[in-house]
Amino acid sequence: MKLKLMIIAISLTSFSGIAGGFDFGKLIEEQLKRESTQPAPTQPAPTSQPAPATQPAPQPAKPKFDPFQLGMTLLKDYSIEEEMRIGRQIAGNLLGAAPLVKDNALQQYVNLVGNWVALQSGRTDIPWRFGVLENEAINAFAAPGGYIFVTKGLYRRLNSEAELAGVLAHEIAHVTNKHHLKVLKKSSLIGALGEAAGRKVEGSDQIVQNLIGNGAEIMARSLDREAEFEADRHGAVFAARAGYDPWGLPNVLQGLATLPNDSRTSLLFKTHPHPADRLAMLGDAVGERFDQVSGKDLADRFYRIR
Amino acid sequence: MKAVWLFSTALAAMMTLSSALAAPGTVLRDEKIYAQAASTSKVVASVKRGTAVDIVTKQGGWLKVKAGKTEGWIRLLSVRSGTGGVGGAGVGDVVGAATTRSDPTRVVAVAGLRGLSEEELKQAQFNADELARLEANAVKPADAKTRAARSGLVATNIAQLPDPKAAASKSNSPWEENY
Repeated sequence: MKLKLMIIAISLTSFSGIAGGFDFGKLIEEQLKRESTQPAPTQPAPTSQPAPATQPAPQPAKPKFDPFQLGMTLLKDYSIEEEMRIGRQIAGNLLGAAPLVKDNALQQYVNLVGNWVALQSGRTDIPWRFGVLENEAINAFAAPGGYIFVTKGLYRRLNSEAELAGVLAHEIAHVTNKHHLKVLKKSSLIGALGEAAGRKVEGSDQIVQNLIGNGAEIMARSLDREAEFEADRHGAVFAARAGYDPWGLPNVLQGLATLPNDSRTSLLFKTHPHPADRLAMLGDAVGERFDQVSGKDLADRFYRIR
Repeated sequence: MKAVWLFSTALAAMMTLSSALAAPGTVLRDEKIYAQAASTSKVVASVKRGTAVDIVTKQGGWLKVKAGKTEGWIRLLSVRSGTGGVGGAGVGDVVGAATTRSDPTRVVAVAGLRGLSEEELKQAQFNADELARLEANAVKPADAKTRAARSGLVATNIAQLPDPKAAASKSNSPWEENY
């Protein structure tokens, strides 16, 4: 937190330097405040929201930045086109670190399951893409715009299609809740000012790359704990809505809770609350609510890799 | 040849047997243990948060556990498996021996395997070819619907879960300090 404040302070200084007389710092500050007090979509709006009437938002000045880049930083929410552009760059970079498993039947299977679950999420304005990464790490990733990845290391531990659906649903929930975009909007205060980590790579989007930092490092960054708990809650519901046994994701978490912290799990464990905490929080939310929900686990339909 | 076959059969039998043996777990909240895997069945005991149990088997949203002399069913989300206690206190299960012993089917050779590191992600270069493969394997929502119907999956209306935020503040995982 202290670090975050310091970074904000630094960007405030640089902004006011560039923008001259205009109070950019205030704008950023307010944007941040709005961002951090914004209620989750499922929550009723708190009544104690600071009244904007007393503090009129300053009008944006004519900056010397790339307007697209600036638009992507703080003036408004990302458009769907911007979201997909960001997601595509992150996905392309992630695939540079770990390619897809060379098994098209597997990849198509995961897309069929994933799309069916995504249909229950209510987000149909983006094309969903799913992939299994050739990597022994135990992890899964979501990028804005509907890009979802599971590592082979995690996939191999799954026992049924319901468990796969649960994992994909958790990642789908990160996209529907725009968790990474929210992180980006906060950190882009720095990113937009930072220099490009620059070798030119074919198909790569330099403006977006400036925004997301180096390579796919955003995938190594933690979302806040609440975002993970929220993705567990929403994900469990998406999978259950799709007709799967609602215990797929909890079963996967139970399995993760038995794993030692080693090279396969360190990134997962660093970027997520402990599986025991996730089980406890999901348990608080679920209570008796799934008692009457019955679904299929489809263990026999699950595509197994060696 | 026959000896090999016999040996592998014996090995498979042993693995089935040992995976049926109890695995360690910890109760995550004050909870009831029921006679059957249903909250309408008789309550056979109450257990406190932090109680160590042995997980015998699972069925849907329920785990059959042993707590001392008591045996019965408890909600799947009220127990964590593994040896770390509540709240991720035992992060690392560094020894890993308990895990290995209790669930041989989960054992993966660790030596030599490497996960995706932060550094690798940072250094990653955009891979247009792999992205094209990803696109090539994408499916249409209509195809996913057809396949789901063929698998007997029926979409149902289930309400979102509430956010139990109040309970969140009391959690203190050591992993919280990670960023």
